[in-house]
Amino acid sequence: MHWSKTGAALAVLALGALCCARSEVSKTIALQAQIPQASATPLQTEPNTPAGIQKHAPEFFVMIDPSHGGYDKGATFGGKLVEKDITLRLAREVRKQLEERGIAARLLRESDIDLGLDRRAEITNEQRASLYVALHAGRPGRGVRVYAPILTDTQQTSAGRFLPWDNAQSSSLSQSQNLAHAVSEELKKKGLTVASLGVPLRPLNNIAIPAIAVELAPDENDLQSLENQKRQNNVATAIALGIVQVHSQIGARQ
Amino acid sequence: MIPRHFQITIALVLLAILVSGIVIIRMTHKEEALTLQAAEAAPAAPMLNGKQEHIQLLLAYDDDQALRWRPADVFLPADRNLRAREMLRSVLAQYLQMPSPHPLAKGADIKDVYFISDDTMIVDTTAQFADGHPSGILLEELTLASLIETLTANVPGITRVKFLVDGKERETLAGHADLMSFYQTAAVHELAKEFE
Repeated sequence: MHWSKTGAALAVLALGALCCARSEVSKTIALQAQIPQASATPLQTEPNTPAGIQKHAPEFFVMIDPSHGGYDKGATFGGKLVEKDITLRLAREVRKQLEERGIAARLLRESDIDLGLDRRAEITNEQRASLYVALHAGRPGRGVRVYAPILTDTQQTSAGRFLPWDNAQSSSLSQSQNLAHAVSEELKKKGLTVASLGVPLRPLNNIAIPAIAVELAPDENDLQSLENQKRQNNVATAIALGIVQVHSQIGARQ
Repeated sequence: MIPRHFQITIALVLLAILVSGIVIIRMTHKEEALTLQAAEAAPAAPMLNGKQEHIQLLLAYDDDQALRWRPADVFLPADRNLRAREMLRSVLAQYLQMPSPHPLAKGADIKDVYFISDDTMIVDTTAQFADGHPSGILLEELTLASLIETLTANVPGITRVKFLVDGKERETLAGHADLMSFYQTAAVHELAKEFE
């Protein structure tokens, strides 16, 4: 009896140490896209992961990130409208538009849950997504802004098969810029005011696949335009068409 | 039997104690509120003497989402760290005035600026700087680019800048701009050019 209790205690301690070690590693490094961090463990739903993440990933799919959520409301517009709700609605529309064009897509969150920036990058890398699109809404200006990542600290170098967490995006930068360009062009075709910019934005820089962020900017005189169904549909369609364009360039993951 | 005049005296004394107690409590609360207000309004660091110098500040303008160089006459001390801090505080002073080209929250200030190596500078801001910063990718990037470019234009030799909030690391400025990384000034220069 005594020995079984000691054994159980040791097992609990060992498990705790393993969990701590895994958490520490995931904070500091990202594995290359070909060998994502979770490859050693089977993909499974964890308590804090969003709903809808499946065990087996299709060959090519887009990870759509409705930014913010839970306690993190993001930007607020006129007191009632909050960024986290706008991004979730737009994300669902983007998924619908992609699926109508035969491209699989998943949302990083399906509901109003807290999801940290590191966790968003971890899930995207673990799931071996092919493309990542973060959705935002914010001032100032009007129209839509498309952001490609830029790396502001290039002093960190990769160690063997590992990439520095802060620069995990380094191998996909040019493809991210291509994706941003394609989406911007499609948005312009829809008659929207578009600005294309490069910014050091999290979690884009921690993601080891082509990644962009799209931000809706409200017209200050008409904040409700952020919720306008027609406008959201236009933006979502343009994002989907941009992704279709680069689909063939990126190819399906094995 | 207690005489009536004695009862009245005791009642008056008790009433006086009660009233003075209420007055003292209210005065204490008022004093605390004034102290707190003064602490919020006061600069995070003492004003310094120095020689007035003509420098260039890169300021953000929300109306047209642009960064523009503006001249300013600022009192700058001889110490390198203190000079850098005063330059950044001059930028924030522009944002805190009314009307502001790029409004920031009251209490946004620079607590400390120091080098950790010959070319790497740490900028420690007040909590109000980040807590009250308007959320938005562009708004946050404009703030950081404005501060970093002003630093590099006026303090030679800086190649990397890192921001702290109240002495601690923070993930993002207000939900978007990365505060965990060290910013390479050359990369920020390229970013700033997009807005100039």
